[in-house]
Amino acid sequence: MSADPNEAALALEFDVFAKRAGLAIAADRVELVYAGFKEMRRMLELLRQPRTAANEPAGFLDMRSVNRGL
Amino acid sequence: MAYENLPIAELGRQLRAGEVTSKALTEDALTRIAAIDPKINAFITLTADSALADAAAADAAFAQGIDHGPMQGIPHALKDIYDTAGIRTTCHSKLREHNVPATDSVVAAKFKAQGAVMLGKLSTHEFALGGPSFDLPFPPARNPWNTDHIPGGSSSGSGAAVAAGLVRMAMGSDTGGSIRGPAAYCGTIGLKPTYGLVSRRGIFPLSFALDHAGPLAWTVEDAAIAMEVITGYDPRDPGSADVPTPDFRGKLHDSVKGLRIGVPRHFFAGAPGLSLEVLAAFDAAVDTLKQLGAIVEDIELPDYDIFSFCGRVIMLCEAFAIHEQDFRSRPLDFGLLTYLRMTMGAFITAADLTQAHRTRRQLSEAVTTRLASYDALICATALAPAAAFADMQPAASNWPMQTMPFNVTGHPALAIPTGFSATGLPLGMQIVGRAFDEGTVLRIGAAFEAATKLHEKRPIL
Repeated sequence: MSADPNEAALALEFDVFAKRAGLAIAADRVELVYAGFKEMRRMLELLRQPRTAANEPAGFLDMRSVNRGL
Repeated sequence: MAYENLPIAELGRQLRAGEVTSKALTEDALTRIAAIDPKINAFITLTADSALADAAAADAAFAQGIDHGPMQGIPHALKDIYDTAGIRTTCHSKLREHNVPATDSVVAAKFKAQGAVMLGKLSTHEFALGGPSFDLPFPPARNPWNTDHIPGGSSSGSGAAVAAGLVRMAMGSDTGGSIRGPAAYCGTIGLKPTYGLVSRRGIFPLSFALDHAGPLAWTVEDAAIAMEVITGYDPRDPGSADVPTPDFRGKLHDSVKGLRIGVPRHFFAGAPGLSLEVLAAFDAAVDTLKQLGAIVEDIELPDYDIFSFCGRVIMLCEAFAIHEQDFRSRPLDFGLLTYLRMTMGAFITAADLTQAHRTRRQLSEAVTTRLASYDALICATALAPAAAFADMQPAASNWPMQTMPFNVTGHPALAIPTGFSATGLPLGMQIVGRAFDEGTVLRIGAAFEAATKLHEKRPIL
């Protein structure tokens, strides 16, 4: 994914992702979904920041919680 | 005094003293629902017959000196994503319009075990995300303070029902603010407990990592009573926390003098769409807390947008994963808003989701660290009063709620009214506490409620 894509690249990315997800977006919904996608794209950039090893996410997987209901 | 204006604790006292019966409370609630609900559409399914049977059972128990707890004989209702055995659970969606679960959700079972009276199932945004919508099998709930306005969501029927006095307490769920949002717009209390404190088993998921179950209630004490009933470790909910049950009512009437309260003012001051009325009411709330003896100071946290985006990425990925097959096979059975919001999960990469989880850990640590030197935080809940249905835009990207941060971090957060707009719509703030310290959050809320007495005003319907 490009960090600063032009409109054509965005449209292509949108199309690829939708097809890969198996979404057949109705014609009258495409414009609204695309607007949401562009907003989402802006959002994702903010989360793509340099991080350190301390920012690792495995803390939300606790083997005790996985096994306790079994 | 009318029953809807009596706190659950007082109703419980009267029930135990034989001054009122559960049957009378239930019949009164059903009468109010018949008169008022057609204006606000809070209920999807009314369970009048089983409610009257529950009430009879509660009265029989009282007569035999059997006391299961504070909700025995008390009418309440559940958001229609809580499974209820033999009673349809629709998620306000065509996709589950005729779904009748075989078993109760843990929360429904806990109320049933207490002998509480379940009046029915309440409107929601479709699958707790899409709404308010007019293209679903059931109409959207309306705001009791002005029925041209939205009640917030997704626990929209819960907020509307409590504000209209149809029940003192209704259960909601909160993944990005779905308890606190309708509480703010409808002028009720709404408690999103600490992540893991209340079992979500049997509640239709929106996002496993962010879903919380909690009450909307007319007063802080009503919410505290509900928490006493529903809290508990559930080994079959992977998110459930094996911790001692907090003391919800023990310090409810203690002074807040000397408590240190932090204000991440940068979250909302200057935010696009911030209403000056919300800001003025918030500043007045700060003054009230100071007059009560609390020490209130502005603090810094990471930027609000980081919290919001982090939560939305996790929520949308998980929501899309849950509904992916239906989006492929029957996409037009979803309402438009649900479709527009949930399909965004299809456009997020695995790397983005991983970054969101890493960010989540950072943010949770940042808030926990701040709360080491403050007893609680306060900040705005909604940036503006409830919008009119006519002003809702399907593709709006600016969410006027500032609730997501504490779904991301897992800390308990209580929505509480701070006043009314010039047009008579409720305004509010949220009180955020340390993990599993609901007692302090409720204590601050109760002190503020007692000082402002905003709960003494009801909408006229």
